[in-house]
Amino acid sequence: MTKVVVSEVWKMYGKVPAVRDLSFSCESGEFLCVLGPSGCGKSSTLRMLAGLEHISAGEITFDGKRINELPPKDRDIAMVFENYALYPHKTVGDNMANALKLRGMPAAEIKTRVDRAAAMLQIGHLLDRRPMELSGGQKQRVAIGRAIVRSPKVFLFDEPIGHLDAKLRGHMRGELKRLQRELATTTIYVTHDQLEALSMADRIAVMNEGVLQQIGTPQDIYNHPANEWVASFVGEPPMNFLDAEVVTTGSETDLEVRCGALRVRLSDAHRHRLEGVRGGMRLGIRPEALQVAGAAPGADWTAGTIYAVEPLGGDTLVEVAFQGGRVLAKTGADFRGEMDAPIFVTVDSTKLHLFDASNGRALT
Amino acid sequence: MLQTLTTDFRTPRAAPSALNTAPSQRYYVYLLAPAILLLAAISLYPFFWLIYMSLHQVSMSPNQPDVWVGLANYAKLLSDKRYLEGWRLLVVYSVSCMILQVGLGLLLALVLNNSRWEKPLVTVFLMPMMMAPVIAGLVWFYLYNGTFGWYNWVLQSLGILSGTSILGSTSTAMIGIVVVDTWQWTPLITLIVLAGLKRVPQDQLEAHMVDGAGAVRNFFAIVLPNLYPFLLIAVLLRFMDNFRFIDAILRLTGGGPANSTKVLPVYLFEVSFTNFNLGYGAAIAFTLLVVTIVIGMVLVSAFTQPSLQQKH
Ligand SMILES: Nc1ncnc2c1ncn2[C@@H]1O[C@H](COP(=O)(O)OP(=O)(O)OP(=O)(O)O)[C@@H](O)[C@H]1O
Ligand SMILES: [Mg+2]
Repeated sequence: MTKVVVSEVWKMYGKVPAVRDLSFSCESGEFLCVLGPSGCGKSSTLRMLAGLEHISAGEITFDGKRINELPPKDRDIAMVFENYALYPHKTVGDNMANALKLRGMPAAEIKTRVDRAAAMLQIGHLLDRRPMELSGGQKQRVAIGRAIVRSPKVFLFDEPIGHLDAKLRGHMRGELKRLQRELATTTIYVTHDQLEALSMADRIAVMNEGVLQQIGTPQDIYNHPANEWVASFVGEPPMNFLDAEVVTTGSETDLEVRCGALRVRLSDAHRHRLEGVRGGMRLGIRPEALQVAGAAPGADWTAGTIYAVEPLGGDTLVEVAFQGGRVLAKTGADFRGEMDAPIFVTVDSTKLHLFDASNGRALT
Repeated sequence: MLQTLTTDFRTPRAAPSALNTAPSQRYYVYLLAPAILLLAAISLYPFFWLIYMSLHQVSMSPNQPDVWVGLANYAKLLSDKRYLEGWRLLVVYSVSCMILQVGLGLLLALVLNNSRWEKPLVTVFLMPMMMAPVIAGLVWFYLYNGTFGWYNWVLQSLGILSGTSILGSTSTAMIGIVVVDTWQWTPLITLIVLAGLKRVPQDQLEAHMVDGAGAVRNFFAIVLPNLYPFLLIAVLLRFMDNFRFIDAILRLTGGGPANSTKVLPVYLFEVSFTNFNLGYGAAIAFTLLVVTIVIGMVLVSAFTQPSLQQKH
């Protein structure tokens, strides 16, 4: 049970900053995901936590104790490396047992731990092989095994399941989440996959270009993205963004957001967000906040044409083109429609996201 | 646990008994044949000539034919004290050189690796290696000189050496030639090990540190095993050279004093080119060659051991 605090940390490679003024804390026993696109400084952050990379500025503490100068072996962390970093001359079993052996654990205890981890990772039959003889996904599971056999202060995972096939990844998400809850070990988990972050984390720290964009629960991140960038990065299929205008209709409090033919009347609950804002802004609509229908059921529906239909099995994505823009809507599997056929679309006004056009910040 | 949900809609048949053969490599053999034949002719001819000589009493005059003596030259070897002593000295000489050079070379490489001064220092260290061994011998001959040699002066001032000179005493002459060889060839080992250190996989080092290993354990568990192939190359090169190159020794001591540095190749040189006993010299050379080849092959086979092979 260890609380990790990162305060005002910078990482410079020469003159190039990879991590800029990063501050967050990870409560003891918490599962924190660091989410961001490739090259945003996730691995750099993790490697500074592990002691593999010099901290250019700022401070990291474990339970209030500064660890900047502590070598990796004294930090008591277990890490899964992005590139596996397995020992090529050791068998899978010995790879997993190495850290325990270095700590002088009795052989019987080592064996139980290795076997238990191997069973969870479905690599029990591979224990006598060498890494060279494994597939990428198998190697990755060995790398996870090497971390979870231990009982460290902090788990550091660097995209640990990125190379598994979709089915196994889904399985591992559940297993890792369950394991972390059972062990209640503080975990910092780096990923570029927003689905992983949303499904596993207690809290998510979203990074872009070395800068922390937002930190919060998955619901927070998904429902209240702090800026346009976070909104666009989180959610699959991605949020629709439209250049829109706020206009008053009738009285001063009667607001409407307009983008070409698409018009959304703001509910009372949202009206305060636009206080003082008039004219241009950015409108964000998640595909599931849109509804489509073949015939206009009411006045708030906008007419358009079907641009493309993508059936996904469980759902169907419909891209609707209307005068002034195009949006992607998510609808049921039973949707039928031809390209260029007329269609009507409407927006759930309670699920609108509004962003300042000048700096991308969410209007709340 | 997740089960693999393969429905058994098509059970694969048994593997075919005849598998497709891989494309033939014979083409390359044909292309290489002329080069191999030429090489064989060039290097095999002297080899057989050596065997021929070792079985004859070789005449120095074109008018007298060589006399067949069978294995007599070889029989003589076993009772030749100088020959046996030559082997002993050769082993002492090359093993001391090897231990000193590999030890120092490794140490230097570890210190130099990733240091700020790596590039300039390596350049400076390489200088002895650039020197022809004969010149090195000459330089050290003067450094060691009993009257005006710098080392002699230093050691005598420190009271380590009494009246005698380094190369002039039977107890220190061997040390003298080992020091010269070490001075000249440690840089080569350093260079090879430095190249090896650049190839040590950083990710394994990092994983091992996270696993809880300190610097010393890291060195023995990760760095050293990755250096083995490089150390093998270094040992192979140095060992072959020590068995063959005697330029510096000839210049420094010529085998003396009192034969205390007469390692086998020096003795061989003396027999063949001072006494011109070519038949007997050939027999000595042949035994030296066989031992060199055997040790060389043992070292080379160590390369091909699977545990030493790095696949990335
Ligand atoms: N050793 C290094 N030297 C110089 N620049 C580096 C080094 N390591 C990383 N960088 C740079 O720092 C930035 C952040 O790299 P980092 O590896 O932390 O990204 P990441 O978020 O882990 O990306 P990915 O998802 O692709 O693994 C990148 O722009 C990268 O080019
Ligand atoms: Mg990374």
